[in-house]
Amino acid sequence: MELLDNLYLGATVVFSANNLALCLIGCMVGTLIGVLPGVGPVATIAMLLPITFGIDPIGALIMLAGIYYGAQYGGSTTAILVNIPGEATAVVTTLDGHQMARNGRAGVALGIAAIGSFIAGTIATMVIAALAQPLTKFALLFRPADYFALMVFGLMLAVVLARGSVPKAIAMILIGVLLSTVGTDLETGDERLTFGWSEIADGIDFAVIAMGVIGFGEILRNLDAPEARVAVQAKIGRLLPSLADFRQSLAPILRGTGIGSILGLLPGNGAVLAPFATYTLEKKLAKDPSRFGTGAIEGVAGPESANNAGAQTAFIPLLTLGIPPNAVMALMVGAMTIHGIVPGPEILTKQPKLFWGMIVSMWIGNLMLLIINLPLIGIWVRLLRVPYRLMFPAIVLFCCIGIYSVNNNPADVYLTAAFGLVGFALIKLDFEPAPLLLGYVLGRLMEEKLRQALAISQGKMMTFIDHPVSATLLSMSLVVAFIVLLPTIRRRRERVFAE
Amino acid sequence: MAGTSPGTRLASDIVGGLLLIGVAAVAHVALRDIDSGPTSSVGPAFMPNLVAGLIAAMGVLILILGLIPGGRRLEPWTLRGPILVLGAVVAFAATVRPLGLAVAGPLAMILAALADRETRPMEVMIFAAVMTGFCILLFKVALRLPIPLLPFILGY
Repeated sequence: MELLDNLYLGATVVFSANNLALCLIGCMVGTLIGVLPGVGPVATIAMLLPITFGIDPIGALIMLAGIYYGAQYGGSTTAILVNIPGEATAVVTTLDGHQMARNGRAGVALGIAAIGSFIAGTIATMVIAALAQPLTKFALLFRPADYFALMVFGLMLAVVLARGSVPKAIAMILIGVLLSTVGTDLETGDERLTFGWSEIADGIDFAVIAMGVIGFGEILRNLDAPEARVAVQAKIGRLLPSLADFRQSLAPILRGTGIGSILGLLPGNGAVLAPFATYTLEKKLAKDPSRFGTGAIEGVAGPESANNAGAQTAFIPLLTLGIPPNAVMALMVGAMTIHGIVPGPEILTKQPKLFWGMIVSMWIGNLMLLIINLPLIGIWVRLLRVPYRLMFPAIVLFCCIGIYSVNNNPADVYLTAAFGLVGFALIKLDFEPAPLLLGYVLGRLMEEKLRQALAISQGKMMTFIDHPVSATLLSMSLVVAFIVLLPTIRRRRERVFAE
Repeated sequence: MAGTSPGTRLASDIVGGLLLIGVAAVAHVALRDIDSGPTSSVGPAFMPNLVAGLIAAMGVLILILGLIPGGRRLEPWTLRGPILVLGAVVAFAATVRPLGLAVAGPLAMILAALADRETRPMEVMIFAAVMTGFCILLFKVALRLPIPLLPFILGY
């Protein structure tokens, strides 16, 4: 069995005292920093990147992967307890996870998130191991036009998810895409929308927008409406979900794992779409969709499993094609380059130890997170159970340090403050800011693929509809758009989301 | 009579729609010197211009929806929070290089804390000192980030 051979090879790499210790440290430090509100996986990895400089490449990547999972786990904890998503993938968790916390079921939400993530991680590891080679071939069949169509479809799903008005959600996505075009054009070297400011010539950092619009925006919203800030004071309650909770969550966990594994594989940031898609699916499947948004356990179990499965399979486009599918993977490219590894198809053939070692370490990392973090949840919670009047100045400080540390540049900190003002204005004007982040993350790749597709087709728009993959994805997008805009469904949707 | 009737106060969607149109217009003007190109070799301004056009369309749509009576009115904005919290962030940005984390940290925390009326002065000062110490241990000692600590005394 080639599969078992490969996994065995990976296990021999991971099961050295050194690499196990690095994996453990990565998970712990990742959780510690990821749990701090406003400091998600992107900022955490960026901050911790320097500490891997002295380690050998395999160990360094195992540790970084651990930091990634830890930070993501910590980010979910914060999303549930404080309503601040650490990263785009945790946005969905805030919807029902935070409502569960408000209902006094924070512990169950955290427990089901951890258990769902572990199940998803286990299955996703097997999926990667089984499909790595055939999928390399399949992904190569994706034309730029297909990538573009895929991202359009993903953004349509995000509109379904967004709260409130549909035109506003679309506008937020478009603003995100527009922000992603800021900076020097890679093909021509033209500076776009920088207004002559050299600090943003390389584009605006994801962390700057995320912390500004979401992080600071949330603080300002809480200060503005003091009654809204029950978040952290809520009690945790029991951690282990009851048998009924389990029965309710098992199917969503498995569906989320399936969606996450598939979407994560696609080079185009599918992992970010996975929790959105899962949430939408669970809401459609539920007997009583109105429970969603008020603390439905399926709304935590499904998306949390999906984001973990997607987080794991998202390594595939990076390792096989060398395309970073999201902001975290973009940082991983940086880390690999520092260690002299060129991401791409050559990793699998020339460095099988590295490839399979990382894959096995993902499963070990997930196991460590489950075993270590559930008992330690009390410590993370104590970290968060500080009165808000003390909490938010500390968050401000952490965000400042985090933002500064991404590039060691005070200009990023100024820019984050400006985006904080934008976030406050958006909230005041009834715009839900979450779709903006998704538009931003996908925008750059969308433009790249659009330009490639049109260059290949010599300017013919037909290229988007005369191939089955892009044609299917675009017609599915149209169907979603139609459903969303149907007034009756829209009215119901608003009742579900508008609280 | 017009000034006090609730119907004449600005609907938030009108403001939102106008802002979107404004953003699209600014982007379009800023892109005027950059090549959009024919579709066969799409230029750097093609995508942002396309997106700006769609933003303007959404802005018009939201504006029209806002003109329909009965929409949500614009709430009064309290500026204490944004000014002090974002002011704290700006203060951190301005002081972290010349004065270091040991000064910028407590400064940012105390400024931000003033945004909340529940803040107790002594508590905040002690907490700011403790948190700055923790951050120095975590980021500077444990993680060795190259963030200045107290450059004018320590030299780093």
